[in-house]
Amino acid sequence: MSSLEARSPESDAITVQDLTKTFKVPEREAGFGAALRSFVRRKYTPIQAVQQVSFHIGKGEIVGFLGPNGAGKTTTLKMLSGLLHPTSGQARVLGFTPWELKNDYLRAMTLVMGQRNRLSWDIPAADSFLLNQAIYRISDQDFKASLKELDELLELSPIMRKPVRNLSLGERMKCELAAGLLHRPKVLFLDEPTIGLDITAQARIREFLREYNRRTGASILLTSHYMADVTALCERIIIIHHGRLKYDGGISELSHRIAPYKLIGVALGEVRECDLSCYGTLVNAENGDGKQYIQVEVDEVTTITAQILKDLPVHDLTIEDPPIEHVIEQAFEE
Amino acid sequence: MLRIYYRFWQVNWYEQWQYRANLLMYLAYWLVSPVVYLAVWTTIARSQGSVGGLTANDFVTYYLTLLIADTLTSDITVHLLAYKIQDGTLSSELLRPVHPILTNTLVNNIAFKALVFMVLVPIWLVLVLLFQPDYSMVTIQSILPAVPALMLGFGINFLLGATLTCLAFWTTRVYSITEFYFALAILFSGQFVPLQLMPPLIQRLAAYLPFQFYIYFPVSLILGRVPPETIAWKFALGLAWLAVAYALFRLIWREGLKRFSSVGA
Repeated sequence: MSSLEARSPESDAITVQDLTKTFKVPEREAGFGAALRSFVRRKYTPIQAVQQVSFHIGKGEIVGFLGPNGAGKTTTLKMLSGLLHPTSGQARVLGFTPWELKNDYLRAMTLVMGQRNRLSWDIPAADSFLLNQAIYRISDQDFKASLKELDELLELSPIMRKPVRNLSLGERMKCELAAGLLHRPKVLFLDEPTIGLDITAQARIREFLREYNRRTGASILLTSHYMADVTALCERIIIIHHGRLKYDGGISELSHRIAPYKLIGVALGEVRECDLSCYGTLVNAENGDGKQYIQVEVDEVTTITAQILKDLPVHDLTIEDPPIEHVIEQAFEE
Repeated sequence: MLRIYYRFWQVNWYEQWQYRANLLMYLAYWLVSPVVYLAVWTTIARSQGSVGGLTANDFVTYYLTLLIADTLTSDITVHLLAYKIQDGTLSSELLRPVHPILTNTLVNNIAFKALVFMVLVPIWLVLVLLFQPDYSMVTIQSILPAVPALMLGFGINFLLGATLTCLAFWTTRVYSITEFYFALAILFSGQFVPLQLMPPLIQRLAAYLPFQFYIYFPVSLILGRVPPETIAWKFALGLAWLAVAYALFRLIWREGLKRFSSVGA
C-alpha cells in the first residue's frame, strides 16, 4: 500500500507489525429474563477492534491517523502507548515494547487524549507541572527551559496559576499539552488534541505542534476529526476502517488515487443562471462564493477551461483540488 | 524519590483541602461509634466498679487513645482508587514512570490523615476535658515502641486495603467486599471493645490476625499494657503480615493490570 520497503529500522521511531486487538464484549437482550440468564451464563461477542495493522513511522515524522468513529484509532494508540495488550502482533516504539510499561519508555513518550486529564482538577496547572518535574526527574534547569518554551508557544503564564477547574476548554487543553510535553518526549501520541476547541485555539495548537516537532525532532502520531489539523501538520496519513489499514501514504497521492479530478469554479458576469452541466458534473459546493462548480477529469481541465472561457461571460474562474474531507470520506467508503 | 513524594504531598494536600466539608462529614460519621462505645462502657464500668477487670478509667484511656491510633493506621484506598479503576481514569496514572499506588494513593492517604488531625485534635481535647482520663501510665518508654507499631499497622492496613481495592479490576462490587473487611477489622482490631473482653475463641484468633495492629496492639503499647516479653513476638508477627500483604498486593496488582490492559478502559 505504501513505501514501507524503503525504510531502514534505525530511522524508525515506531514499528508496528500485524497488530491485532480483539475485545470480548458481554451482550444480552433487554428484559428481566435475559438479565437473569446472563447472570448464569454470560454471552460474549468478540469485537475485532484492530486487525493485523502494520506500519512504520520515522523519527521526526508527523503522521495523521484517520478513520471514522470506532475504526480502531484509539485502541491502536492505547496499544502503542502501553495501556493495552494486543491480542497478537508486535510493536516497538523507540526500541521498547510499549505494554511492558518500562519506566524508561514512559519517560520518552506521551499520550495526550482530548477528554482525559493528567492535570489535577482542583489545583493550578503550575502545581501539576511541578509534580511532573519530580515524576519525570527533570532537572531544574531543563524544567525551566521547557516551561519557558511551552509558555512562549502556548501562552501559559496567564492561565497556569488558576485552578484547572476554572479554565476554559481551550485553556485546559493547552495545559494538558504542556503537562504532557514538559519531559520532552520523543514520541507523541495525540488523540483528538483539538477536539471542542474554537478555530483560533485549534490553529494555535497546530502551530505549536509543528513548532515542537521542528525544535525537538519528535515523532507525532495524531488522530483528529478536523481535516485542517491533518492538512496543516501531516504530509502522510494512515487510514484505518473497521480495524483494518486502508491507506498509508501522502495526502496528495491519496487525492490522486481516490479523486483524480479537479473542481472548476465559475462565476458569471451578466447571466447569473447558466447550465454548466454540459462541461462536467455539477457539484453541490455551497461555500457562499456565488460560484458554480463542476467536477472535471484532470487531463481535461485545460480543454474545458478554455471552452468555458470562450463560450460564457466569465467573471471569475478557479481550478481547485477536491476538498480533502471529500477525499477522505471516499477513502473510508472504499 | 523524596522529591516525588514531596510533590505528591503538595498536590494531595491542596486537593484534600478543597474537600473540607466532605472531611467534616466523614469525621462526624467516624467519631460517632468510638465515642458511643466510650460513653456506654464507662457508664457500665462506673456502675459496676469494673467490667472484665477494666475500670472506667481503663475504658476512657483506651477509647481516647484509639481515636488517635485509628486515624493514624486507617486506610481509605478504596475511596481513592476503586472508581479510577472502574472508570478508566487510572490510565493516565499508569503512563507515569512511578507506581501509582505506592506514590499517589499512599501520599493521598497520608494527606487525608494530616487534615483529619487538624480537626480531630481540638475535638479530642474537648473529650479529654469531658471524661478526665488518668493518663499517668503513659510514659516515653511506652510511647516509643508504639511509633513503629503504628507505622506497621498503617503499612499492613494500606497494603491489604490496596489489595482488596484491586479486586475492582475484576468486579464492580468491590465496595461490598471492603465493607466486609471493615466489619472484620472492627471486630478483630479492638475497635468494638478491647480484645481482652472478647470471647476466648475470638481472642485466640485475633492474636494471629493482622487487624490487632490497626488498634489493639499500638493502643495497648501506649497504655503500657503489653507484657514486655510478648512485644518482640508481636512485632515479628506484624512484620510477617506486612510482608504477606506486600506480596499479595504485588501479585494482585500484576494480574489486575493484565486484565485492565486486555479489557481496556
